[in-house]
Amino acid sequence: MNGDVEMNEKQRYITLDLGGAPMTPWCRFKRVVKRTFRIELFIGLWVTIREMFKTLFMGKSHTTKYPFEKMPISSRYRAIHDMLRLLESGHYRCIGCGLCEKICISNCIAMETRYDENQRKEVSGYTINFGRCIFCGYCAEVCPELAIVHGARYETASEQRASFSLFEDMLTPIDKLKEQKEFEGYGAPSPWADKNIKKTPLAY
Amino acid sequence: MYAMLLYIDGGGVVMVKKSDMAQYVNITIDGKNCIGKQGDTILQIARANDVYIPTLCYLSKVKPIASCRMCLVEIQGSEGVVLSCQERAVEGTVITTDSKMLYKHRQNIMKLFGVNHPLECGVCDKSGECDLQNKTLEFDVATQNFCAKESDKKVENWGFISYDPSLCIVCEKCVRICNEIVGESILEVAVGGYKSRIINTNKEADCSNCGECMAVCPVGALTNSEFKYSSNAWELERIPATCVHCSSGCPLYYEVKPSSTANREESIYRVTNPFEFSSLCGAGRFAYDFANKDAKKDKEAFTRALKAFEGAKSIRFSANITNEEALILQKLKEKKGYKLICDEARNYQKFLAAYSMVSGKSLYSGDLATLKDSDAIIIFGTRINDDNPMVKYHISMASKWHRARVAYLHPMEDVSMSKIVTQFIKYEVGSEEGVVALLANAFLSDLRLSDAVKEYLESLDVGNLSAESNVGEEELEGLVNSFEKKNTFSFVIGADLYAHPRAQEIAKVLALFEKYLDCNVILTPPASNALGVALICNLDDEDVNEQSIGYNVKGDFTLGSLGEVDLDMPALNQQEGTLTTIDKRVVATHVALPFGGYVLNDIANALGLETEYTIDYTKELPKRSGYKAVEFDTLNHEFSKEGNDIRGYLLETKDVKIDEIFEEIEELPAYDGGVVYWCNEGIHFTYNTLYKYPASKYLKGSKQFAVAMKISDGEELIFENEKRQYRRIFKLDETMKGTIAITSSVTEPLEVSSFKNYRYTLMKLQEDGVIR
Repeated sequence: MNGDVEMNEKQRYITLDLGGAPMTPWCRFKRVVKRTFRIELFIGLWVTIREMFKTLFMGKSHTTKYPFEKMPISSRYRAIHDMLRLLESGHYRCIGCGLCEKICISNCIAMETRYDENQRKEVSGYTINFGRCIFCGYCAEVCPELAIVHGARYETASEQRASFSLFEDMLTPIDKLKEQKEFEGYGAPSPWADKNIKKTPLAY
Repeated sequence: MYAMLLYIDGGGVVMVKKSDMAQYVNITIDGKNCIGKQGDTILQIARANDVYIPTLCYLSKVKPIASCRMCLVEIQGSEGVVLSCQERAVEGTVITTDSKMLYKHRQNIMKLFGVNHPLECGVCDKSGECDLQNKTLEFDVATQNFCAKESDKKVENWGFISYDPSLCIVCEKCVRICNEIVGESILEVAVGGYKSRIINTNKEADCSNCGECMAVCPVGALTNSEFKYSSNAWELERIPATCVHCSSGCPLYYEVKPSSTANREESIYRVTNPFEFSSLCGAGRFAYDFANKDAKKDKEAFTRALKAFEGAKSIRFSANITNEEALILQKLKEKKGYKLICDEARNYQKFLAAYSMVSGKSLYSGDLATLKDSDAIIIFGTRINDDNPMVKYHISMASKWHRARVAYLHPMEDVSMSKIVTQFIKYEVGSEEGVVALLANAFLSDLRLSDAVKEYLESLDVGNLSAESNVGEEELEGLVNSFEKKNTFSFVIGADLYAHPRAQEIAKVLALFEKYLDCNVILTPPASNALGVALICNLDDEDVNEQSIGYNVKGDFTLGSLGEVDLDMPALNQQEGTLTTIDKRVVATHVALPFGGYVLNDIANALGLETEYTIDYTKELPKRSGYKAVEFDTLNHEFSKEGNDIRGYLLETKDVKIDEIFEEIEELPAYDGGVVYWCNEGIHFTYNTLYKYPASKYLKGSKQFAVAMKISDGEELIFENEKRQYRRIFKLDETMKGTIAITSSVTEPLEVSSFKNYRYTLMKLQEDGVIR
């Protein structure tokens, strides 16, 4: 109990003079009228009204019409994977090295490769089981070709618990090759990567 | 008495007697006291004692190649360095395997190997199991300060193998293996400094497609054309197993992985083997796709099978089964009184029994390890390169390492043996009994023999036999002379003799070689597990038209893993069990692929035997035949550090009552005209290997044969043998001579590799166009 008394002594309360509370109905009515027609209300509403006019008549809206519109996300965000293509040839970048399959800690990547007619390693099948994927980003980080990267498709709800994604689904559509953006997230070369390249000694 | 000296041999510790000390050397490697055999190299002793010396071109199973210079070591007290792979250890040497200088040296070697090596590890098949990759990382090669102008190197395809010269480091392992072990010497090094490469002097033509070169390649230069780019090495699961195609029972690994992204059922991607110590022929390496896939537990078929078993009088089966299955069949025989009929093993069983009667031992004395170290070898009654390539490999090793005299006795010359054989003795078809008598007379007559043998040899009419069999007395004299002063004498016997009408008499005479010459006699089993079946089952001779069950052969009710069968059975790579090999070794094989149907044990259990798993029978294999009461799961599948085969266990040889009775030689039969020799040519043994070697559907013969039989190249023939019709396409082979043609006995499923009757059949063209 002693403690409480001391606390109260230390705290300095200030009593504000707010006037008396309206006691009669007339007084109450007066207060309502006073509050309603004071200019502060419109000062508070000014921003709203301004934005309303902007939206309605000037076409400047802050609303994102999800799911028709989406917010831009950081390049480091790890959403559903994208498979990129070479900008020059349009051929997919994946060389089928299998490192993503190996490093995947939830074991959700499966791939099939074969020896194709051009004596190259062809990726004949590639799936990611998004029911298992934990979006750790190791696959994108380990990829030596920046072929598998994390894209911006973050909606992973599906009708099935285990929804698979095929290589073709993730691959940049060939007609949208020009829109393909270089990946800047995990595993991407640093902006000063050029400086670290050493030349092979060539005597001829 | 015993020195405080322990010699590690195959995992076991052997106490060494002081008197035997001279056979061993004591050296110190990196401060560790190491003991090895006299004559061992420093590297061999280091490896046996768990001391690591980096190597790149060293391959245990061939003589040191010494092309990479990675294994350099320093010897205290002497200047400079020595190659540990070829330097024999001298008592008391103190060796350092690692120093700053050696490290620098090895790093430079790795840099040189890395010059212009394509940076395609990402797609290379070898990535993950590549010696170049490992050693480059081990010696921390971060920069390259050597260079050379790169030339245009094209990938070459050699049948099952593809060669990429730009990845090749010219370590010469492949060349050595082709020369020393396979005995074909088809690969050569084209020397040209940096432009050196491996060349295939024969391309596909005469290469036996064994794939040994590919197996030993430390980099991705020689790769499997079929497997190429289909999987990374680390994705595959290794199933230790035993090759089931022939009786050599070579160790291998089936490497499995889910079939595709959609089908997660596993399939075999490739076969590898412990190539440092053992070899594989092409059948083992490439013909692995014989599993009975998609079989389901068909209850109705199973009920029908039980019904068939209840009514059956006999069980016919092929010898390509495990020891455990053979025991199940034997137990069923004991319980239900079935007759067990296995043509492949029955002749062999009788042959072995006759052999034992004279030798006094239940098994033949020989094994492949001794064959490899022989310096005098006779091959008799077998086209060994086709019958059992692994035996040929061992003969090749003997030929290369010990300059062995190799005498090859056969009615037909074999081009594929020409680089090994020193003397070819041709005898007439059917005259084997005469030939073996002549051999015995030539080799044994000067020895102290028992009266019965003496009498037998004296009764021989050598002149007549020589004339009838066409084996000249001078030829035999030359043979005996060339075998003088040789230390280890091996005798390889083959399937021509087992089904010979006078097989037992031949066996008895052959046993004399083991008995009096202490010869390393190998009775090559005619099918994968013919020895096992012969030792486990009490086989019966052929029955006539009785209600029969067929297991992997045709019967009134057929069980099997191939073709049209009444009840699906697992193939040998879908089963676990043991096999008895040519080395008289019991080795285990494991399940590579799952099987969904019923197995033989299920039927046996339904018929009243009570054992949960097939492998529960492993410990029950008959002790009287030399098997041991060993649990399946305790069977070893590895080699010793020295490279000795210590898989499973060796059969125990029992003493048998000796009964030396020799019959007089029957008049030698004459085979005048076209003769067909039933031989699964190439690397073809059973139907399982056929899909890899479709050439086996031909009847191959010489021009002389074509003229005699009035047939031409490419003509389709129908001929009959053992009441069966065979269809073959005639193929003219310019390298062949004489009137003997070759054809495979197995071109359809449920056919077995060896015949009940003699392997040569006299053919006559009948008027209706059918050859009989």
